[in-house]
Amino acid sequence: MRARVPWWLLLPALLLVGAFFVLPVLALLAGAFKVDGVLGLGHFTAFFNEPLHAQVYWRTLRIAGLATLVSAVVCYPAAMAMVKVPPPWRGLLTALVILPLMVSPIARTYAWIVLLGRNGFANTLLVGSGVISEPTTLLFTEGAVFLGLLQLMMPLMMLSLVSALENLPADVLAAAQTLGANRWQTFTRVVLPLTQEGLIVGGTLVFTGCVTAYITPALLGGPKVLLLETLLYQKVNVAGDIPAASVIAVLLLVTTIAVNQALKRVAR
Amino acid sequence: MNNGISRSALCMLVLALVFLLGPFVVIFVAGFSADETLAFPPKSYGLRWVVYLFTVEAFQRSFVTSLLVGAGSTVAALAFGVPVAYALSRFDFAGKDAIKSVLTLPLIVPGIIVGLALLDLMVLAYALPVTWGLLIGHTTLLVPYTVRVVSASLANLRSDIDDAAVTLGATRLQAFFKVVLPNIRGGVAAAAVLAFITSFNQVPVSLFLTGPGVSTLPIEMMAYMETSYDPSIAALSTLLVLFTIVLVAFTEKLLGISKYV
Amino acid sequence: MSYLSLEKLNIAYGRAAAVHDLDLVVGRGELVSLLGPSGCGKTTTMRAIAGLLKTTSGRIVLDGDDITTRPAHQRRLGLVFQSYALFPHLSAFENVAFGLRLQKVAAAELQQRVDAALASVGLSGFAERLPARLSGGQQQRVALARAIVLKPRLLLLDEPLSNLDAKLRVEMRAELRRIQRELGITMLYVTHDQDEALSLSDRIVILRDGRIEQDATPEQLYHHPATAFVASFMGYDNLFDNLAWRPGQVAVRAAGEPGEAGTVKARSYLGERVEYLVDTARGAVKGVGAGHFNEGDRVSVLLDPALAARIGVSR
Repeated sequence: MRARVPWWLLLPALLLVGAFFVLPVLALLAGAFKVDGVLGLGHFTAFFNEPLHAQVYWRTLRIAGLATLVSAVVCYPAAMAMVKVPPPWRGLLTALVILPLMVSPIARTYAWIVLLGRNGFANTLLVGSGVISEPTTLLFTEGAVFLGLLQLMMPLMMLSLVSALENLPADVLAAAQTLGANRWQTFTRVVLPLTQEGLIVGGTLVFTGCVTAYITPALLGGPKVLLLETLLYQKVNVAGDIPAASVIAVLLLVTTIAVNQALKRVAR
Repeated sequence: MNNGISRSALCMLVLALVFLLGPFVVIFVAGFSADETLAFPPKSYGLRWVVYLFTVEAFQRSFVTSLLVGAGSTVAALAFGVPVAYALSRFDFAGKDAIKSVLTLPLIVPGIIVGLALLDLMVLAYALPVTWGLLIGHTTLLVPYTVRVVSASLANLRSDIDDAAVTLGATRLQAFFKVVLPNIRGGVAAAAVLAFITSFNQVPVSLFLTGPGVSTLPIEMMAYMETSYDPSIAALSTLLVLFTIVLVAFTEKLLGISKYV
Repeated sequence: MSYLSLEKLNIAYGRAAAVHDLDLVVGRGELVSLLGPSGCGKTTTMRAIAGLLKTTSGRIVLDGDDITTRPAHQRRLGLVFQSYALFPHLSAFENVAFGLRLQKVAAAELQQRVDAALASVGLSGFAERLPARLSGGQQQRVALARAIVLKPRLLLLDEPLSNLDAKLRVEMRAELRRIQRELGITMLYVTHDQDEALSLSDRIVILRDGRIEQDATPEQLYHHPATAFVASFMGYDNLFDNLAWRPGQVAVRAAGEPGEAGTVKARSYLGERVEYLVDTARGAVKGVGAGHFNEGDRVSVLLDPALAARIGVSR
């Protein structure tokens, strides 16, 4: 380890990120606090005066929270099964879980359009089996956005839990069994406390991923079911209301940081 | 270990996999539909829409743009990022953590904020040509990925081999190219693939930085979806998924990158 | 009346059969060791008894209770793992209390029983310590306390001392024996160390490739190995024509003395004695002798049939 600071190795990247990320983003965020050139919270009050906006914020948090919860409930047992799978199947499974993360979110979300559209799979099934008489609107609903986001983010929870489970000390689960713990007791008294960091990392990734998602809410929610990011886009491109967009940007950032910090506290 | 996997856990695993991978099956099936409009299950099958894709000029053009921007920003991100990764792993100085945090920020800040911020800066303030804007924007977003992945593989490479090379007469620069780089090839390749895929699939930032005439493929796809409901997007999605699988599998076979992901 | 009985037990491990038609009986209060090289099936058998592995066929009966298909957490056995498997997030006290809490034992009784268990393994002052702050020997004792506090019907120990250094191992051996005698617990002990097995056991069962080679008391095993494998495992390095000699029973003396002629191939100084590997017409022989022979010297080795153990003869 050498102690001189190798500035010439670091500067190009730092300048790039500084000039084309840090400064522009700070400028944008600052814009939320400048009302007619004067520092103030006017834009924030204007924003929240509109009930639709609060509704959108609440909707975003709600869907993100639910997706986080469901992914944890589904992925815990799935991950526990996965860590017991022997190689070479294990490698294949890992690849299958990672693959969706590499594929364009547009493609992944599009499948839901195919499934939930008016002529889609779900409607065909429902009409065909007589449950409903004509195709109903399944797209552009909160449920559709929820499903899309859940599917998008689940690999993150899965990988996080698998990693945490792999780090369990040897034989700890077997020991619990010999001491009389059934599966549920083994899970709550041994697995959960020992893997909670993985759960928190996964939860943070899923929650913030949902809050900051654009493509899925855009394609599956449309202009009727807006989430924070689609609202932001609408403010810029449709309403030309940059201050409102800046307010949303601040909200997004504050929410993700707050969730990050809160979950870190819980871990302790 | 024939330590049984509980039936319910196995069920959940299967369920999770079906949920995660089912959409791919759906896309594949829909992609080969020959129907007029999107219906599932398709009433007829064929390559009609796949063929159609090659006639849509917007898709062709934006595909090329995506490739060029992807390749360009990946190379640039490596050029900026590898020296940083090297500096962080081989030098010990105050401010290392701060630098790491700053370079991780683009991963945390929502893309749409970055997109809007860069729109203000590059298009509105400086009227940069769109392609340049895209390149710079993407590169900035990709640097955290290249730094992170290359750092991981450098961590596995002992630092005394650089010193050994120097005692044998090499300059630091030569030591880097002759000794360090060959040993982190896998990590660099993994970083390149990850960066390229991230750039190719990038939407929020590209959304604000693309303009008339210059667009990336994902943006064109979303625009198309706003007006048309034919299965061409399904066909395109199918091709994209295949493209991704081939790219990742190929690099994995060639260089064994899976351990760096 | 047998306390633990394994009847024609077959266990598959992957595609291979790890344990074949195993018949084993342990009496109440006995300490029986399963001894053998790695892969012989001893740990597999133990885990099957505990319910952590499924058997293919056969029965496991404990105190008249057929537990062959019973889920692991209902078998009321104790298992001390080679890795101790202490719960890292719980203190020594809570580790020991784990099983009692599951049984919803009343607070006062729980406190008393855990304190007593910790005291019996000599860890009274360590109740609040986390496993990370305990030495290997201390962790092992917590693991033991955790199992015995539940008054198990049978205590299984899977190479519990193999991670300890030599001196500690010998001390813990004596401790285990003392606790076993005091509490009258029936124990099944798995080890690959023959000295451990000899010093601890009422009976030793030698396993090889999933089958029993010999099931006898330590004295019988030591003096009357049933097969060449057992003899070799128990330290009889010289096996010729159904006779077996330990190195200590073979005298290496100057060439010309009574015995077979040979050349010294290797010499090992072991402190108390010097061991020689000698090449003879009959094959390689390990014996002991005075310290002055070197490699390449011609010597004579005496394989006295009167001193040998007869393989397969039990008296």
